[in-house]
Amino acid sequence: MQLHGWEAVLFYVLAFMTLIMGVFVISARIAVHSALFLISALVNVALIFILLRAEFVAGVQILVYVGGVMVLFLFVIMLVQTRAEEESRVRLYTGQTKAVYVIAMLLAFAFIAAMRPAQSGFQSPDATAPTQTSADRGTATGQGAGGVSEDTQKVGSALYREAALPFEIASVLLLVAMVGAVMLARGSKQEKLYE
Amino acid sequence: MQAGGGGFFQRMQDYLKRFEPNLVNFMMLSFLLFIIGVAGVLSRRNIIIIFMSIELILNAVNINLIAFSRYLQANELVLRQRGIMVNPIAGPVFTIFIIVVAAAEAAVGLGIVISLFRNRETIAVDEIDLLKW
Repeated sequence: MQLHGWEAVLFYVLAFMTLIMGVFVISARIAVHSALFLISALVNVALIFILLRAEFVAGVQILVYVGGVMVLFLFVIMLVQTRAEEESRVRLYTGQTKAVYVIAMLLAFAFIAAMRPAQSGFQSPDATAPTQTSADRGTATGQGAGGVSEDTQKVGSALYREAALPFEIASVLLLVAMVGAVMLARGSKQEKLYE
Repeated sequence: MQAGGGGFFQRMQDYLKRFEPNLVNFMMLSFLLFIIGVAGVLSRRNIIIIFMSIELILNAVNINLIAFSRYLQANELVLRQRGIMVNPIAGPVFTIFIIVVAAAEAAVGLGIVISLFRNRETIAVDEIDLLKW
């Protein structure tokens, strides 16, 4: 798996934008700005999914995250808006900022230590089989030339054949979460209403 | 191509080929997004932004899963020749389940935030210390 030409450029642009937006999410002072930056980051991640030829997951990402979850976030931000954070004297961070640096450094070292031996292993199938990569490239350009990607079909059949039970469990989970969210968010006024 | 041959653009192209993203670059992107999410969870006071950081972490995991799925798809024949059976479609399927669980988690978590705000009039995590002693 190696991206070529414009896809490679696009990957770097999208990755850079995703990371910048992620940093903005955790450093914005106003929560609504944070939510808007998070929407941008999620759209960038969806575009990276398209780059990886997972179009169905990209669509689900846009529909569920940007269309559903982020609207929920914005509603809750506006419901619990305290207006306190917009003043500059309020602290944004807990006292754990130094611990965050330490943990980030430790994770970075762990990642580098884990990736150094693994890197050659991940690249070897591509390198040892040039025919395979060229064939892969051929199908990729064939898809890009106007053929319909089979990703959605494959994911759909896998969801209904191999993962049918988890799929049903996921629907039950969503039902339980919906009922639980309604139960948690209703106040004493609504409780009295039905008595 | 022969060494020394080709003009400036050819050499430039060969040099740039070194930076073409493969699985490792996607894993690095995923890792950095994960780190940003962890930093947000650990350092912010606003509980809603902590939830947003959790969404960032889950997205990092999703990028990793999709990248590995694509990698297995591209190298399926080679791996099969070596006797390794792969199922590249498991990555997107698992990603969809992660998105479902993230949506459920956000709904319940934000319900808890509303209930908390109604009772305590604050959403700063270091002021919610009723269980601390």
